[in-house]
Amino acid sequence: MLVISCIKQVPDTTQVKIDPVTNTLVREGIPFIVNPYDTHALEEGLALKDRYGLLAIAISMGPPNTEATLKKACALGVDQAILLSDRAFGGADTLATSQVLASAIDRLGKEEEVGIVFCGKQTIDGDTAQVGPGIATRLGFTQLTLVDRIEWLDVPNKRIRVRRKLEGRHEIVEAPLPVVITAVRELNRPRYPTVPMRLSAQETPVALWDNQVLQLDVETVGLKGSATWVSKIFSPERDQGEIIGDGVNDPEGTAHLLLDKMLAKDLLAL
Amino acid sequence: MKALLVCEQREGKILDTSYELVAFADRLGAEKVMVLVGKEAPKVDGKVYLADVDKFGEYNPDLHKQVVLEAIQKENPDYVVFVHSSYGWDLAPRVAAALKVGQVSEVVNIVDGKFELALCNAKLRRTVSPKGARAVLTVQAGAFNAVEASGSAQVEAIEVAGSSQLQFVGYEPAEKKDVDLGRAEIIVSAGRGVGKKENVAIIAELAKAFGGELGASRPVVDAGWVAHSHQVGTTGQTVSPKLYVACGISGAIQHLAGMKKSDFIVAINKDKDAPISEAADVMVVADVLQLAPVLMEKLRAA
Repeated sequence: MLVISCIKQVPDTTQVKIDPVTNTLVREGIPFIVNPYDTHALEEGLALKDRYGLLAIAISMGPPNTEATLKKACALGVDQAILLSDRAFGGADTLATSQVLASAIDRLGKEEEVGIVFCGKQTIDGDTAQVGPGIATRLGFTQLTLVDRIEWLDVPNKRIRVRRKLEGRHEIVEAPLPVVITAVRELNRPRYPTVPMRLSAQETPVALWDNQVLQLDVETVGLKGSATWVSKIFSPERDQGEIIGDGVNDPEGTAHLLLDKMLAKDLLAL
Repeated sequence: MKALLVCEQREGKILDTSYELVAFADRLGAEKVMVLVGKEAPKVDGKVYLADVDKFGEYNPDLHKQVVLEAIQKENPDYVVFVHSSYGWDLAPRVAAALKVGQVSEVVNIVDGKFELALCNAKLRRTVSPKGARAVLTVQAGAFNAVEASGSAQVEAIEVAGSSQLQFVGYEPAEKKDVDLGRAEIIVSAGRGVGKKENVAIIAELAKAFGGELGASRPVVDAGWVAHSHQVGTTGQTVSPKLYVACGISGAIQHLAGMKKSDFIVAINKDKDAPISEAADVMVVADVLQLAPVLMEKLRAA
């Protein structure tokens, strides 16, 4: 049985800067990382491999340099890594992305039964939270979102029980396999690659599946297959708070001004 | 233009976010129709399709999807709108997929009929428009101010047949929190800008000097500097104290969503353009580690 983790390479948004002149994203020098939520998707795939002997596979759609991200997955111990890359896939929104991922999962399922597909609950660069559910719908798999614990997996009977993280409470549900699970941070603590594994990962080939392999209708993928249209990306105009004093050069005076302001607003119980 | 608003309830009580959906529809200038799986209709003027929660469960995704689809079929709305909560998170994409239409997630604003979304920790925004005639939307909780619950709904019961492969086992309460930030009048929160674990103690001391509780942003909790029970934001606690002091917090959207309803927000940050400045009432551009001792001294002397 296969456990497939879908991962995405994203710019490290904590380091993204805006060009103040052009008001656009400065891409140069921004490191790429594995989408943080996807690291939990990857870890849980590996954990199920360790516990139940499932075959762990990592797949990622992206430009050719996404291979680096998949190499990292190899260093962590996945059995197979597949890069889904083709010019036709570019500019995709979540609908078109889930089409490509679902097609790859379907293809893998023809070789060996797919039990569980893991995705992060969302990405940090798009935040749409639809790719996982999109895959589930296309493949007819049961969708389990916001999972923070796998209670048990019954491989012979093909059932799973998970805990979902909701507002202020958790929900326990059971479902038949195959399932698509979207992972929250609390699901696990991702492992780090050891040096020998990192070295051997350099030797592990990452398979490339382009549209020659997947044979998808080009109208259904990439920009053409997208159902949403991004008209512009911009830096929000700020309705900024009033800046008080000169905190750098005059902490003393600034602290005074700040406390006066708080007292005037009756915020302090002095 | 018509919007179908998918309202939410919990244990018989309509959630306030349902009234935020009404505000959203009003901003959009759309005629509104509501649908709810619950016990009683929200207090709004207009038609409400009500499905009995005893029959459809607090949340069974397959059955709730059928309820929403049934309402869509009756009303033929241009937009189907959910709150970007765990409920909308799970249900909206199912409905979008069933309708084969696009979804726009976590709308924070409407400008010229287009939807604004935040991305990259709210450093950027993008405007998105759905391509087709109909779209599914989720709206960020707190982005639109709830209308008053004062209308009288025209209720129509909804009945659908359906089955589900999902088996609901039960609820578990969230882990007990050792700090109840939700009740605190004053919260002083530490962000990554405090630099290192040892410095959190200074912020904790500052919180004490203010007579408040210590809060924290996610990176600080992730780094293990502060226990998760102190975390403010969508993955922590949502708070609305009288006074919120953000120390060295840049203001990721998830953090802002958890604290922007505070009565008065003070941001202390070295970067005057950090996203937190957008939420702040007042901002002090400073290294909080330099400012905190001075503040504490003055608070204690007062």
